[in-house]
Amino acid sequence: MSVEPSRVPSLAGASPLVDVRGLSKVFVRGARRVAALEDLSLQVAGGEFVTIVGPSGCGKSTFLHLLGGFVPPTTGVMRIAGREVTGPGPDRGVMFQELALFPWRTVLGNVTWGLEVQGRPRAERLAIAERYLALVGLLAFKDAFPAELSGGMKQRVALARVLAFDPAVLLMDEPFGALDAQTRELMQEELQRIWLETGKTVLFVTHDVEEAVYLGDRVVVFSARPGRIKAEVSVRLPRPRRLEVKKSQAFLDRRNQVWDLLRAEVLKFRDEAEGAP
Amino acid sequence: MTREAAGLLVGLLALWQVLATGGALPGYLSSPADVVREVVALARTGELGVHSAVSLYRSLAGFALGAGLGIGLGLLAGAVRPVAGFTEPLVSLAYPVPKVAFLPVLMVWFGISDTSKILLIALSCFFPCYIAALYGVRAVDPLWIWAAQNMGASPARIFVRVLVPGAAVHIFSGLRVALALAFILVLASELVGSSNRLGLGFLLVSADATGHSALMFAALVAIAALGFGADRLLSRLRRRLLAGYLLAEETPRG
Repeated sequence: MSVEPSRVPSLAGASPLVDVRGLSKVFVRGARRVAALEDLSLQVAGGEFVTIVGPSGCGKSTFLHLLGGFVPPTTGVMRIAGREVTGPGPDRGVMFQELALFPWRTVLGNVTWGLEVQGRPRAERLAIAERYLALVGLLAFKDAFPAELSGGMKQRVALARVLAFDPAVLLMDEPFGALDAQTRELMQEELQRIWLETGKTVLFVTHDVEEAVYLGDRVVVFSARPGRIKAEVSVRLPRPRRLEVKKSQAFLDRRNQVWDLLRAEVLKFRDEAEGAP
Repeated sequence: MTREAAGLLVGLLALWQVLATGGALPGYLSSPADVVREVVALARTGELGVHSAVSLYRSLAGFALGAGLGIGLGLLAGAVRPVAGFTEPLVSLAYPVPKVAFLPVLMVWFGISDTSKILLIALSCFFPCYIAALYGVRAVDPLWIWAAQNMGASPARIFVRVLVPGAAVHIFSGLRVALALAFILVLASELVGSSNRLGLGFLLVSADATGHSALMFAALVAIAALGFGADRLLSRLRRRLLAGYLLAEETPRG
């Protein structure tokens, strides 16, 4: 267990898969300038599962939107496998908080969408889509429409859709935020299993500290706005982690550590919002 | 149709029939039985079929032309800002003008022909479809577009595969309004005149000229039946094409 100060790359030697340096974002709305992110640097190794927590409004979603290439940064450079990010692309699979499934398409049609873009032949599209639907346990629902599914099932479709076009990195923006507590726990276990099977690199934003510690190899704690990396906590719990690990002392220690770091930021944010010194 | 609606309709027809048989109604209000007899007689001679077919051709041709152009331009205006900048003031200018007012102009150009009727209907159908498609595109969830970009889709693919299906619910509302307008305007334009002396509107005015009340009602029944059938067909098509959306409306959120 260790707390590392930010801006010190935690990976020595090997070039990281995700390499973010000096990233900042200022939103200009009329005469108002809102700094969402400030001088943020983060390196993530291939196959690593990094979770990001921070007080609400700290810019953690903005960070994923920048990395997804949807919004240009104000300053800084982002590289994925050495290639600079200049726009959206299928090397980064984004799973949005609101899922953004296509309601006019069936489950299968949603999962094959990205493969159609790649121009794969029909038989291959079906085979790949069915493999990932089986992986998330939804093969029996392939002909259903998203509107017919429960919240947890929609999450699985969104995950299968992203996995199907085979991105190197998964960018997940509070994907389980809207789920009830039990479904959320099941989805966490499921995601860990799928991550272990596929070996993807994951950046996972959440406001749930338990979720961050349970899923992450490393928990990155963002400061209050403008978002910077305040600290990183290495989790170092053996995999696969069963849900019972959440009751263990080792887990609770790390959870409390992240909580204390986060709590200071939440209080700071609140004081600033209320105009206190 | 609900049982209540059907009951009301049958009740009104029955009341009408009783009043007509009792001699309480003037001669120009033919009884339902007379109208039915007239419809059957017209159908036997094949006249009804010919007039209906001509009216149906004019309304559907105009509808297809106007809806096609309206949806196409509406989608484009919704997706490309400069296009909307060009079309929106023109639509604001032309939309409030009653389209029937264009009929004399169209008749000067094209005569009392099918062409002038079809163009009038197309003009009327254009606006509701254009407006529906424009707002349909503007109502598309921006995250659908991000998701598509994330999967590497080109702008052209996003237009065809995200904006068009994403706007489809709105587009169908526009189509339904336009379809009714097509039937209203085919009758109105045929009332003014028909060069080949065919069409249900023409049947209606010629019946009026000879004081043949039951025939007038028969023509009205025929146009109502055509409109009803077309509206039902469109709603079936809508249910089929928008299966995913309608489920979203019918099942509670889970």
